[in-house]
Amino acid sequence: MKRRDLIRGAATVIPASIALQMLGTKFAFAQDGDFDNPVDVLNYALTLEYLEAEFYRQGNAASLLDGKAAQYLQKIQTDEEAHVMVITDTINKLGGSPVPAPEVDFGQAFASSASYLDAAYTFENLGVSAYLGAAPSLFAEKELLSAAASIFGVEARHAAILGVLLEKPAEGGVYMGATETPMSREEVLQAAAPFIVSTVTR
Amino acid sequence: MQPPTPEPRPAYALFDGRPVMAFREESSRRTFIKGAALVGVGGAFVAYTAGDPRAFAQDSASDLEILNYALTLEYLEAEFYTQGLAGNVLSGRDLELVTPIRDHEKAHVTALTQTVQSLGGKPAEMPKFMFPEGTFTDKNMFLTAASMFEELGVTAYHGQVPLIQSAEILGAAAAIAGVESRHAAVIADLLGGDPFPAPFEANKPMAEVLAAAGQFIQS
Repeated sequence: MKRRDLIRGAATVIPASIALQMLGTKFAFAQDGDFDNPVDVLNYALTLEYLEAEFYRQGNAASLLDGKAAQYLQKIQTDEEAHVMVITDTINKLGGSPVPAPEVDFGQAFASSASYLDAAYTFENLGVSAYLGAAPSLFAEKELLSAAASIFGVEARHAAILGVLLEKPAEGGVYMGATETPMSREEVLQAAAPFIVSTVTR
Repeated sequence: MQPPTPEPRPAYALFDGRPVMAFREESSRRTFIKGAALVGVGGAFVAYTAGDPRAFAQDSASDLEILNYALTLEYLEAEFYTQGLAGNVLSGRDLELVTPIRDHEKAHVTALTQTVQSLGGKPAEMPKFMFPEGTFTDKNMFLTAASMFEELGVTAYHGQVPLIQSAEILGAAAAIAGVESRHAAVIADLLGGDPFPAPFEANKPMAEVLAAAGQFIQS
């Protein structure tokens, strides 16, 4: 089912866009045709989670951090690995084929603790926006929607704490305003592209 | 639907179960109770003086009711931080990190109010809140209560995710929920707690959230 069809059903309940307008958020749905079906959305999420999990695996193995930062990033790695496992399981249960892990290259990200944290901060905020942008595409699948939302919230926690570790300004650094900002699939993949050597996702 | 049987108000750890929220208008209290009655047990946690709140029970919450439920929780948070920051117990980086939280909660109140209005509904009135003495004069008490509110807010939004009927409302609610997750993590860090208690956000149905919020409700 195309996302367009999912939204059409919802539009009959409440006039389209009214709430968004009133909320004044930057909320925008994923572009029409971004996703073909729920498995497609999950594979998109899986690619990002693979990217994150491998990023923390390499980064933590480089032993750049100590104290609280080291402890937090170890926990974040475990979270991302849990996301990979759950999304993979879910795709399998739906009868789909999970995409393989992409080949990645994080360049100079692990040159120093600062560059590691900086890159992590970027990935986490990207993850938050990616999930929010994709959420409406899972709207008709309530269980998947709830699961994706529960991951999205944890990515937001990661993003905020990385902002704290980097001593970013509170607003616009630790927090990104009163509402999160969604990103389309194209924007997200463009942002992730420099780190992905090869992928079967689209 | 069988009306819920009122249960005794449970003892709460944080404020000894003292009710600290009062609704200005009977209609607002009823709106809040309606949400509670929907899910069967929450009404028991909201003190009431007249009428039968259970008469409002229905099978499922509409988006408007969910929005008013969220609005009431955001009122609680906005007022909590407004009073808390006025207490001047925070300074430096702590103050810098908590100040935007107050502003976000106020923005959520405004956004939810306008959304309810745009949908032709009547926004829930802001209840009167009374926080126990000491909440805002002790940094640890303030942040501990803040942590409880933020974690409650996160679970409240996630509990409604599968129930929201409009994709637009869902997107907007999710955009707010993510910010509550950021708040929860930052407050946990300030307290020396765990900002990442689990790889997935927990969720609670309206009844459980109202049970927890009940300690702040007075009529």
